Amino acid sequence: MNRREAIKNTALLGGASILTGSLFSILQSCKSEPRLSWKPSFLKAEQAQLISALVDTILPKTATPGGLDMKVDIFMDTVFAKLYDAEGQKALVADIDGFNEKCRSKFGKAFTELDKAQRTEILKAEEASSPKYNGKVWGTAVGEQKPVGFYRSMKSLMLWGYFSSEEIGMKVLNYDPVPGDYLGCVPMKDVGRVWSL
Amino acid sequence: MPNFNIDAKKDMTYDAIVVGSGMSGGWAAKELCEAGLKTLVLERGRMVEHVKDYPTMNNESWDQELRGAIGPEDRKKHYKVVRTGFIGENNKHFYANDEENPYTEVKPFLWVRAHQMGGRSLLWGKQTYRWSELDFEANAKDGHGVDWPIRYKDLEPWYTHVEKYAGISGEALGLPQLPDSHFLPPMELNCVEKEVKQRLEKEFPGRHLIIGRVAHLTVAHNGRGKCQFRNRCDRGCPFGAYFSSNAVTLPAANATGNLTMRPFSIVDSIVYDEKTGRASGVKVIDSETGEMHEYHAKIIFCNASTLSTTQILLKSTSSRFPNGLGNDSGELGHNLMDHTYRVGAMGNFEGMEDMYYKGRRPNGIYIPRYWNIDEKTKSDKFVRGFGFQGGAYRPGWGGGANMDGFGEEFKDSLITNPGPWEFFITGFAECLPYHENKVSLDKQNLDKWGQPTLAIDAEYKANELALNKQIQEDAVEMLEKCGIKNIVGFDNKHEMGYGIHEMGTARMGRDPKTSVLNATNQVHACKNVFVTDGACMTSNSCVNPSLTYMALTARAANHAISELKKGNL
Repeated sequence: MNRREAIKNTALLGGASILTGSLFSILQSCKSEPRLSWKPSFLKAEQAQLISALVDTILPKTATPGGLDMKVDIFMDTVFAKLYDAEGQKALVADIDGFNEKCRSKFGKAFTELDKAQRTEILKAEEASSPKYNGKVWGTAVGEQKPVGFYRSMKSLMLWGYFSSEEIGMKVLNYDPVPGDYLGCVPMKDVGRVWSL
Repeated sequence: MPNFNIDAKKDMTYDAIVVGSGMSGGWAAKELCEAGLKTLVLERGRMVEHVKDYPTMNNESWDQELRGAIGPEDRKKHYKVVRTGFIGENNKHFYANDEENPYTEVKPFLWVRAHQMGGRSLLWGKQTYRWSELDFEANAKDGHGVDWPIRYKDLEPWYTHVEKYAGISGEALGLPQLPDSHFLPPMELNCVEKEVKQRLEKEFPGRHLIIGRVAHLTVAHNGRGKCQFRNRCDRGCPFGAYFSSNAVTLPAANATGNLTMRPFSIVDSIVYDEKTGRASGVKVIDSETGEMHEYHAKIIFCNASTLSTTQILLKSTSSRFPNGLGNDSGELGHNLMDHTYRVGAMGNFEGMEDMYYKGRRPNGIYIPRYWNIDEKTKSDKFVRGFGFQGGAYRPGWGGGANMDGFGEEFKDSLITNPGPWEFFITGFAECLPYHENKVSLDKQNLDKWGQPTLAIDAEYKANELALNKQIQEDAVEMLEKCGIKNIVGFDNKHEMGYGIHEMGTARMGRDPKTSVLNATNQVHACKNVFVTDGACMTSNSCVNPSLTYMALTARAANHAISELKKGNL
């Protein structure tokens, strides 16, 4: 998104406060070891910090709210606590440890302590090495799904948390709960932004 | 407000009893009530009233802590249905409790149940196609199963009858293998579907890509509202825009004043009267109190859904029918069929990135059968055929997890760019009726009401696997020739049941020695018992079956009414 679009979107969202907030979050995300301001249901504090840092790196605040503004890290913790079964929880903890280990062996620090360039380097490597999700037809993945690994599964989960949140779903994306009609060929420019639902 | 029969002692005798309130039971109730018959509808599940009992119809994801997903407890309760991928927080109350309703998979078989007033008519896919002469002649021509006792012309007026009331949208094409219905205006194909249609029909003469024919109103009809394109059908539609028993047939039946509904009623058995040679009524267990009640009627319609109807008939033993009511032939429980599922291909359509759509269309495209429809299209690898469903769409943020990148630009692009067009087709192939594909009563494993459960022992065989192979080959070839890129062919090798089109197990036929039902869906040797749900099917075509259940039910109900008037029942 270029700056002109960013300003336009911000105007649509109705507030300069978002720009101020954006600057604030950039300042904040540079600090290492942010103190956790919420109490996780499943994650330990250090694990929660990692998840928050991943959310902030993958979905940072721009002209639109960031993942942390939408409490995506808290949502992910809820998912781990309430949707994952015991086996999934165990695997997640092992994945988090493994990911931290990678960061330490490469940079001698945990992910939360890395600067932006280091975080980018790590995530790019993860991106390149992780299998993708198979296509889905009506809720069922087609073919045999290879494990997508920690990075991509967290990315998927945080996109879900972000785009299914109220502010993004109703105000940032194009929200049309009762379309009334189906129009099969509409210029993208007339729709403006991606449909929420 | 409908009549309820809760106080069982009050009213034990009716003109007609309908067992089950779903797709076909609703039609039986409507036709019988409108003819003036006092009709009792028995439903094993709870009451679901149109609109009033659709608690999630307006939910947004952010209204729910888990944004529409279900956790381990619900997944355990619905441990069979979760295999479909269809169940979530917004529709879980319309799926039966799998733990309370066990069945045995002798071979893997997914049995999806919906125990409530309206049954699976609240959850169905709404694809609505007439069967053709090709389908009714198939068994006789290639020698599999037994011959249907009826032909297309017998059912044609009844297709018309139910279509005009239910409201079916689609486009008339005049194809012999997919006869036209009486259509409301079709839904629109999107840009990419229109383009692929042009290419496909040019590259493959004789093949057609059409908008799905669906039981959705595209204009207001019979007091129901038109589809609002919310695509939240499986929560129940507040506009009554898709066909369900709850929105359409049960209210019509109720309006006559002749309908009584009894929810929480599990049928123990149909009672056979040795003296009259007829069924005298139905024994019912109240699922809440466990009490047994007996209701009486002149005629009984079995519409509990394919396997449940057969389960009831198998449980209904007497000295005349020691192996289940109407089971002189030994075919009751046999010849179970379903459509193969999740075989096809998908890929990306390049271009038209400046085009999008508006509205969430609860429908896709359809490619009607093109194999074995005449001498020219005869395959030497398989008999029968398949059709495809599919569509084109842009994934929106849902495609984000597979996209490279993260950070500012990545996030913002997901808000402004719906992603590349994706296109898929997935086949539904016909399954032959095999005697050895069967269900039987499992008297060792009883459910919580002490009822024998079902053991399901069925599998696809060589012909279905050959059809599936052809589906994938054809799907990949069609996508290639239509210029689709990044094509992935797939075959999930799903077991039977995934199609959720169970058919057979109490088939119609010409000969009582080899079939359970006659040409008007009556049990051969017990003429006042009618079976008009999927159990009655003699073969299974490759098109979706619900419309045919509706038409068969209306036809049989009107036959019953006329026989009653003549004093024959």
